[in-house]
Amino acid sequence: MSRKHSFACAIGTLLATAGLAHAQDVIKLGAAVQLTGSEANTGRYYRDAYRLTIDKINAAGGVNVGGKTYHLGLTLLDNQSDVNLGVRQYVQLITSDKVNFLLGPFASNHALNDSSIAEKYQVPMVQGGGASTQIYSRGYKYVFGTLPPADDYYASTLDMLAKADPKPRTVALVAADDSFDVSVAKGTRNHVKDAGMTLAVDQTYREGNADFSTILAEIKSKNVDAILWSGHETEALNFLRQMKGLNVNPTNYYGFTVGVPTEDFRKALGKDADFAFGMTSWLADASLKDRWFGDAIAFAKDYADKYQYAPDYHAASAVADVETFAMAFEQAGSLDPKAVRDAIAKVEFDSVYAHIKYGPNGQIVLPQIVIQIQDGKVVPVYTDRVLNKAYYPIPPWNRRP
Amino acid sequence: MQRSVLVLVIMSVIMLAFLPWIASDVMLQFAINTLLLATLAQSWNILGGFAGYVSFGNSVFYGLGTYGTAIAMAQFGLPFWVGLMLGALLAVICALIVGLPILRLRGPYFAIATLGLSGVMGAIVSNMDIAGANIGLILPLTRADPMFYELSLGLLVVTTVCVAWLSMSRFGMALIAIREDEDAAGTMGVNTTRYKVAALVLASLFTSIAGGIHAYWITFVDPASAFDPTLNVRMVIMAVFGGSGTVFGPVIGSFLLSTIYELLAFWISTAAALLFGVVIVLAVLFMPKGIADLALAKEPGWRYFLRNVREHRL
Amino acid sequence: MLLAQVLLNGVLLGALYGLMALGMALVWGVLNIVNLAHGALIMLGGYVVYYCYTLLGIDPLLALPVAMASMFATGYLLQRFLLNLIVRGALLNTLLITFGLDVVITYLGQVVFTADFRTINPSYSGANFMLLGLTVPVLRLIAFGIALLLSSALWFLLNKSGLGRAIRATAQNLVAARLYGVDPRQVYAVTFGIGAALAGAAGGLYGMISHLTPYIGSSLTAKSFVIAILGGLANPFKVILGGIVVGVAESLAALYIGPTYTDVVSFLLLVVILVVRPAHALRAA
Repeated sequence: MSRKHSFACAIGTLLATAGLAHAQDVIKLGAAVQLTGSEANTGRYYRDAYRLTIDKINAAGGVNVGGKTYHLGLTLLDNQSDVNLGVRQYVQLITSDKVNFLLGPFASNHALNDSSIAEKYQVPMVQGGGASTQIYSRGYKYVFGTLPPADDYYASTLDMLAKADPKPRTVALVAADDSFDVSVAKGTRNHVKDAGMTLAVDQTYREGNADFSTILAEIKSKNVDAILWSGHETEALNFLRQMKGLNVNPTNYYGFTVGVPTEDFRKALGKDADFAFGMTSWLADASLKDRWFGDAIAFAKDYADKYQYAPDYHAASAVADVETFAMAFEQAGSLDPKAVRDAIAKVEFDSVYAHIKYGPNGQIVLPQIVIQIQDGKVVPVYTDRVLNKAYYPIPPWNRRP
Repeated sequence: MQRSVLVLVIMSVIMLAFLPWIASDVMLQFAINTLLLATLAQSWNILGGFAGYVSFGNSVFYGLGTYGTAIAMAQFGLPFWVGLMLGALLAVICALIVGLPILRLRGPYFAIATLGLSGVMGAIVSNMDIAGANIGLILPLTRADPMFYELSLGLLVVTTVCVAWLSMSRFGMALIAIREDEDAAGTMGVNTTRYKVAALVLASLFTSIAGGIHAYWITFVDPASAFDPTLNVRMVIMAVFGGSGTVFGPVIGSFLLSTIYELLAFWISTAAALLFGVVIVLAVLFMPKGIADLALAKEPGWRYFLRNVREHRL
Repeated sequence: MLLAQVLLNGVLLGALYGLMALGMALVWGVLNIVNLAHGALIMLGGYVVYYCYTLLGIDPLLALPVAMASMFATGYLLQRFLLNLIVRGALLNTLLITFGLDVVITYLGQVVFTADFRTINPSYSGANFMLLGLTVPVLRLIAFGIALLLSSALWFLLNKSGLGRAIRATAQNLVAARLYGVDPRQVYAVTFGIGAALAGAAGGLYGMISHLTPYIGSSLTAKSFVIAILGGLANPFKVILGGIVVGVAESLAALYIGPTYTDVVSFLLLVVILVVRPAHALRAA
């Protein structure tokens, strides 16, 4: 046994030294993402997009930092959808796994907590999972984000509705009570006023709630023209199903902040998903050029081929996070956290996700694209101009094909 | 025997006090977390272990402690220790107000009423603007993990000393009498209500301070994490795993379980939750009285396990 | 009109809540086990119906008996080979072991069903009709009917059958039941099986009305808990009534105080009832 054992040991040492020699040329990125637990369904976008992008950059020869070529590496931990565990894992990533830079988790509450670790250790974090304005209002210097501010999620939608015929006059706003959706609701109230509409119903519900029948009864009794809804995917699903069950028909429009762009949502609802409006900060479009992927359509194809499901804006924004680092390394010409941080603040480039440029608070500014499900397909209808014809007003439930 | 245990404990506390000088950041972070959890389990033990009143409402005190500290620091810019005191005050007041009606309930009624309490408190706080409503509050960032560590260690020591004193005092005897037979204790002249409320207040005090330390350390509180009912379940599991109603059981139980959970979470990441569940099921099956009882058992391990199963099966 | 509609919604939904709690109340009352894995069993039942519908094309309402049968078997085995081993231990230990079971079942659910959310969406899922100016969702009405049907069935089983007598005898006095030739191990397993079967039916209906993920269990356990206390553990009809009380209270709270307060109201209701009427219920069927 001992001879066999020592042989294995020798091989092991050999491999380890080979790995070590190689490891010097690797810049390690680290993240703790929801791979299990209640948010795993969205967490996978980040895992898969991080991996795909890093592979792509390495396949293209890696990044050139001050005349030396480096490959990118990734240390990915599972935070089990647990905020406290996530915070601890980010400390682990920095101090014991010795990662050089941080990528983010999914969702605003995670990003809020995890980013304070980045700031504490002064290690730059670029995250594409949290949109709450709270993340960027703390004066942190090391945190950057690629999701647009929550306050403006409904800006383009209300812009579209203000020009629509017939224009809605009364609006119902329904929002969950977590950090992100409260931000959305706050911004939306102002946008509604600016668009010259009145808020007939303004309700906040408890996160995780599954029954909307009371809110829907109220909406129905007020006979509103439009419903603006903000919350989480399963709640959106329940809201829409109960709208049909209680036969609630706003005169012109109903829309959701989440759900509509994802395949799961449409699959779960079938034909009932038709006509629903939504929004996304990203759609696979050939006009989005990218140094590593070519364009967004090529990226979507690579992604779907590799992982057997289509990417959405979460995935695209995760790609931009990794690419931000790649660009910043090259511009900084150094791996010093401070130098890289300054380079990220100045970086400006085109990616599969969008044109990337961070504002002074660290957050990107990006208009939401209004989308609608038409005959089972997601169709972009509006940004600052009409993209495709919308089915508008939305027909009542009993008069649908 | 007694003396050697005492010496051993004092030695280990002294050694633990020097941990920040040698431990890595991850290790220190894990240690802070474990010490705070052990404090929570130990506080739960005061009422749950000695008096046999299973509380699922201790997370309310924890939440009030975190919020007291957070409101004082984030909203009024007061120093940390004032926040700790505010949190403790809130928790003690809550224990007094709630304790009187709820401690009249026995057995499962009490457990359930306390469970209801934590639901109510979380929902109330998430509708209060001074507490940052559902968004939560952000505390100033401090890079001082060694301080948090020493604070947590100190708190655990104080809590455990208090429990040790309790176990030898009249107060503790009264609580045990209540656990064994509350009616008999009452007829023998023990003022059961007063002792139960006192135990709850004591538990709320330590629990809320642990919450305050955690809030300042993590720098962020929101209702979901402050009033997390699973935290309370963890306290119960750790106390029972170690041996509830004993002085060191809850501490040993939380040290062991935290270590197991942390190792599982870091090594095999995704299946950690599953194995944790399995550990709980097996522990209840084979050692329902906890590690403390196992350590005192006279027969060899497997026979001890089988005896437990035989005693409790149908 | 709005008030009437809100009340109707509350009553219809409350009956489904009651059905969820029915199995938990039965197990609690007879076996003295507070089953924290009850929500996980509801979740499993939901997935059975989901797969019957999507893979085998069985109408979800017809698949309910399939879910009930398979959940009966699951519950029977769980009790016979695991929970019977600790059932004479302290209440706390049964709480802990069922909590551990909940963790395990949820994890396995995530592996087998994935974290994706699902709905059971038959053609009639959004159907509704008008009655006296109120909108009545058909599916919720059906769920209401099934809740009444199953609670009646349980009442007859407990009060009018030999098995029911054996169950009630075991609940009241283990030793006496043994003397009369009842095997408590068997009775316990069957009782837990019935509880699980009821959870299975509730899960299928929940999946049709709401959604399924492996994680819905714990919130449903909490809700069932509250209702089992409100309704007491003795009478199936009272459990359904308890569910309706919670459903109506939540709806009214959402209307008059605000939807974020629904949880506060149902828990406050619980605490108040416990404090005001501590002697109420909690004794076996």
